[in-house]
Amino acid sequence: MSRPETRRRRPGGAELAPYAILAIMIVALVLVPVVTQYTVRTANIYDIFQNFASYGLVALALGITIIAGEFDLSVSSMYLFGGMVAVLSGASSPVLGIAAALGAAIAVGVVQGGLIAGFRLNSMPVTLGGYLVVLGITYILGHNKSVLYDNYTVGLRLDEPILQIFSIRSLVSLGIFVVAALVLRYLRVGRDLRAIGGDRRAARVAGVRVDRLLIGVFVVSALGAALPGALLSYSLATASPTNIGFDVLTFSATAALIGGVSLSGGKGGAVGIAAGVLSLSVLQEILAILRSPDYVSSLITGGLLVVVTIVWAPNLSEWFRTARVLRPAEERT
Amino acid sequence: MARVGIEPRPLRLADAALAAWIAILAGVTVYGAATTTGFLTVSNMKAILTAASFVGIIAVGLTVIVLSGNLFSLALGQTAAISAMVFLYSLRWGLAAAILLTLVLGLAIGAAQGFVVGAWGANPIIVTIGAAGLMEGMAVWLSHGQSIVPPVDQTSWEHLANPVLGLPAPVYVFIVVTVLLAVVMARTRFGRQIYLLGENRVAARAAALPITLLTVGAFGIASLYTAGSGVLIGATSANASLLLVGSYTYDAIAAALVGGNAVTGGRGSIARTAAGAIFIATISDMLLLRGYSTGAQILVRGIIVVVVVVLTNLRERSR
Repeated sequence: MSRPETRRRRPGGAELAPYAILAIMIVALVLVPVVTQYTVRTANIYDIFQNFASYGLVALALGITIIAGEFDLSVSSMYLFGGMVAVLSGASSPVLGIAAALGAAIAVGVVQGGLIAGFRLNSMPVTLGGYLVVLGITYILGHNKSVLYDNYTVGLRLDEPILQIFSIRSLVSLGIFVVAALVLRYLRVGRDLRAIGGDRRAARVAGVRVDRLLIGVFVVSALGAALPGALLSYSLATASPTNIGFDVLTFSATAALIGGVSLSGGKGGAVGIAAGVLSLSVLQEILAILRSPDYVSSLITGGLLVVVTIVWAPNLSEWFRTARVLRPAEERT
Repeated sequence: MARVGIEPRPLRLADAALAAWIAILAGVTVYGAATTTGFLTVSNMKAILTAASFVGIIAVGLTVIVLSGNLFSLALGQTAAISAMVFLYSLRWGLAAAILLTLVLGLAIGAAQGFVVGAWGANPIIVTIGAAGLMEGMAVWLSHGQSIVPPVDQTSWEHLANPVLGLPAPVYVFIVVTVLLAVVMARTRFGRQIYLLGENRVAARAAALPITLLTVGAFGIASLYTAGSGVLIGATSANASLLLVGSYTYDAIAAALVGGNAVTGGRGSIARTAAGAIFIATISDMLLLRGYSTGAQILVRGIIVVVVVVLTNLRERSR
């Protein structure tokens, strides 16, 4: 997905953008009582972290694939697949269900990553095929309909408030984010990941085991989609194969890009992605408090995604500079 | 001179693999055709062609994006659905006005996405995902979440869904627009420049090709064709809402990939995509007749896509 010949360096201010956006969102949340008569309660903070628990890890997973210069379109069906496998195989023990979902996700990730690394394929068409395969299997497993999870106390336990604002589900997500942030910042694998996203050939020459790392990236991506999917299915006590379209993908791509992950690869980190997810989660909560209809959220998320993609677009500043002197944008490279 | 000597071995391997794969698919299709009750009937052939038409029109339009090296669009299903909604709504101003308005809107939506991608180098996948979200939001907003039905005093649109000489009208439209686009891509300067852009972006830039304009054209045509399909979908279902989004996006991309177009651009043709669309419709129909569920149909489509992508890539690389 990277276009090396058009890559540009971002100005340093871009690194602070995710936190600036989060700050704006929090200010907006605080200002809600001024506009309406509503007072923001701890329950709202709890909701924000619940939303973080449902989608945060998908954004982290997708963000890691983008940092590596790849993309995983299969996360949206993997999310449903994780829930379906966990509900079907976790009837006696929820832990077993989670283990089964994660095991299946690893298998899918190894196959996708193996194909992409082994044959040097573009990850978009491969993961599009993967999306269809995983969605098809999810439908077959659920016999084309939703499956109920009888052990609904598991969901209650997972969502029980801890310290008023957290739950097991959100603490699991936050914990994984902390680990990911430390790994990406301090371990060699984090540096290698940015290297293969920034300049793959140079990384290969420098001795990075590109193929192994790529397979790892797609395994992590599958796990990052399957785990929150499984936990959400327990929480809702149901799993559905229904194609919910790109909701998960749109949310997580927007969160990752707001979080400072560059579409040309090689840039971004877990802390920024967490800020991106929190920004969108706060936004959802504000819309919920204002009782906005669902389409407002679609409009804002879609609009944000387009805007943030344009802001990250490699030729944007070039275009404006050349447009001013009435020269075609293509002339300068 | 050395060319003959280093004739790469993978060429033969990749070609053999591709030939074997085509043979397997052909074998399975023939076996399926012979053993599936109700497959080899005239009415079923019509059903396959009709199903292939709606997806096929979208897919051949999408092929221009693929050939231009901009991967694909993930907003096609949404474009088709809102086109069907706009078409049925605007029938109150007459059939011709409704068709024209829908097509112009489709062209504009695609051109805007193409501009962002072409002029500023924005990532086509992410831009189209965002555009899809925007379109869904606007469709619900403007329609108040209700499905659109044609005005009661208007029946002119029914001709678009009725059979002509035994075949439904969309089949003829599919054939005509496919031939038209195939000619444009093979014979015009625009077509050749799209191929060059997809084959080698750096060279296209060096040759001072109007990259922005070409990209606007590619996305514009894809979206225009999708809007055209949306008109036919709206006329056929006589009721349009976002439920129509369905799987058009994936089916169209699958058709283009299964036809063997190189995803990286530059290599492929409109005819390949049309064949891919008909093939996928045939397989889906066969699975349906044999009682397989939606899941199995999606799964088979996915497996075929993955295998074809691997084989096409092997072949392209060994050229």
